[in-house]
Amino acid sequence: MDNIIVSDLTKKFVKKGKRKLLRREKEDILAVDHISVKVKKGELFGLLGPNGAGKTTLVKCLATLLIPDEGTATIDGHDIITDPISVRKILGITTGGERTLYWKLSARDNLKYFASLYGLSSKDAEERIDYLLDIMDLKEKQHQRLEKYSTGMRQKVSIARAILHDPKILLLDEPTLGLDPSFSMFLRSFIKNDLNKKEGKTILLTTHYMDEADQLCDRIAFVDRGKLIVVDTSKNLKRNVSKNEALEIKCIGNIDKLENFNAHIKNKKNYTKIRILHENTEDIMDDVLKDVKERAKILSVNVTRPTLEDVFVHLTGSKLEDEHE
Amino acid sequence: MEIRHYLRAMNAENIKEWKIELTYRVDFIRGLFEPLIFVLPFILYGIAIVGGKYSENLEKLTGTGDLITYTVIGYIFMGFLETAVWGMGFALRKEQWYGTLEQVFAAPVPRWVYVMGMALHSTIHQGLIILMQSVIIYFIFGLVLDISGILPSLLIIGIMMISLYGLGILLSSLVLIFKEGWIISEILYSFIIIVTPIAYPLAVLPSILQKISMYMPTTYGITTIRHFLIGEVSTFTVFDAVLRLLVIGAAWVIFGLFIFNIIDKRVRNKGELGTY
Repeated sequence: MDNIIVSDLTKKFVKKGKRKLLRREKEDILAVDHISVKVKKGELFGLLGPNGAGKTTLVKCLATLLIPDEGTATIDGHDIITDPISVRKILGITTGGERTLYWKLSARDNLKYFASLYGLSSKDAEERIDYLLDIMDLKEKQHQRLEKYSTGMRQKVSIARAILHDPKILLLDEPTLGLDPSFSMFLRSFIKNDLNKKEGKTILLTTHYMDEADQLCDRIAFVDRGKLIVVDTSKNLKRNVSKNEALEIKCIGNIDKLENFNAHIKNKKNYTKIRILHENTEDIMDDVLKDVKERAKILSVNVTRPTLEDVFVHLTGSKLEDEHE
Repeated sequence: MEIRHYLRAMNAENIKEWKIELTYRVDFIRGLFEPLIFVLPFILYGIAIVGGKYSENLEKLTGTGDLITYTVIGYIFMGFLETAVWGMGFALRKEQWYGTLEQVFAAPVPRWVYVMGMALHSTIHQGLIILMQSVIIYFIFGLVLDISGILPSLLIIGIMMISLYGLGILLSSLVLIFKEGWIISEILYSFIIIVTPIAYPLAVLPSILQKISMYMPTTYGITTIRHFLIGEVSTFTVFDAVLRLLVIGAAWVIFGLFIFNIIDKRVRNKGELGTY
């Protein structure tokens, strides 16, 4: 059974340009471009794409915070346009950004407030809040104002708020964005093991971290420039790349492209990462290394299996860190 | 069941606002005394011009010559206009500023419930200020009030608040689409203050403003309250005032909700809900 059915959903925004005499130039931006997708009951489904791909816009449409221009979606049978209140009752949502909670209130007060909005009685709310603060390991600091919390602790409160009313379906928009590795690890494990496996919640998770999508999601949809490119399991997506090896070189030096190879080059803060997909990397290794050595100092050379990011680049030509206007 | 849920949500909004407000203690105390500082120049100016508390001309126009009591009642009860214009009007903008509006709007509660929760908070807040002002001014200037008029006055305030809530709902949505929404609030606030007989009787207004004044709930509210407390005489009866307050109240609430729904749809269409 499908818990989330998105049918031909389209959302465009108008971007204002320069003013010309009395008129201002306007440009339509298709944030979500006729997306159709189904998420099964109990599935952990990932939307993977770079910043600006349209993931958050799609999530906001599903959460009834935006009205689509075309198409619609149903959440557990309730239409997001004609029955928004029923949709909101069965949905839990975390949207990106740190300031989605009241920083002047404590974790407990924040949760109490949202429990009232979700219709929990005082007794039920107190019990549920105790339980959530406990599993999030926030009980000791429950009365401290959020302005004194770390980013990771605030994100824990944000997740606790999303599941306060024990929703069937969760929309998690970039839940680990900006968190340090230990908090990310905790949240990923909590999302996969507790919320998805143990409690059976259907989860739609957006991320631009390929590892996160790879680790957590039963199926992954690639989204780029508002369009849904492909939907499949991580395993199948990787299998679809005909080249089954990836040569990865880390080096220091200014390299923009390699003339004779189809390489994906990322200039990071302290080094440059070059990845080349090939059927057998041994065949090209010498030539590639020679080319790189002439222009840079090689730090490491590795041969790996293609990653989800390789698949994404292969299918879309975009990198996951790309930001589209 | 739903009504209980909505009422609980309104109360939660009220409690949340109190908790946030009380984290700024000094500002909270300043807020309690601020209106008192505004009203004092009015009173002192009046005393200096008239040469005392009593004005013969005012008595001719309104049936009561006690200038100070007349002005103070008008001014104090107009404090409830602040509830609508600033308290409710900026309820959603405040959430945008906190960054919480989208999360709040993702909950299964109609949007107007938040605004009414803020109305509840602002009304209690303003009620406290008015109570404090009244006690202080009563003892400093020795106001002479008809104590039996307090209860009917409270009823009139209750009816007047229906209209002001309608205005508040309208303003709360307008500030979502206008970046400098405070200008609209400021213009409306100033306009209502001018056409409402707060410190002067209706008769001194130009005839066009007198006509406009007849569509303002505050005109009927303030005049009737003063009728009960100090015996002000007006061109309409108490029954007329209540009836008109109810009609204007219903019209303002319907209009406020109508505009609110249109703007709610517009911001969700344009994706402006969470932006500030």
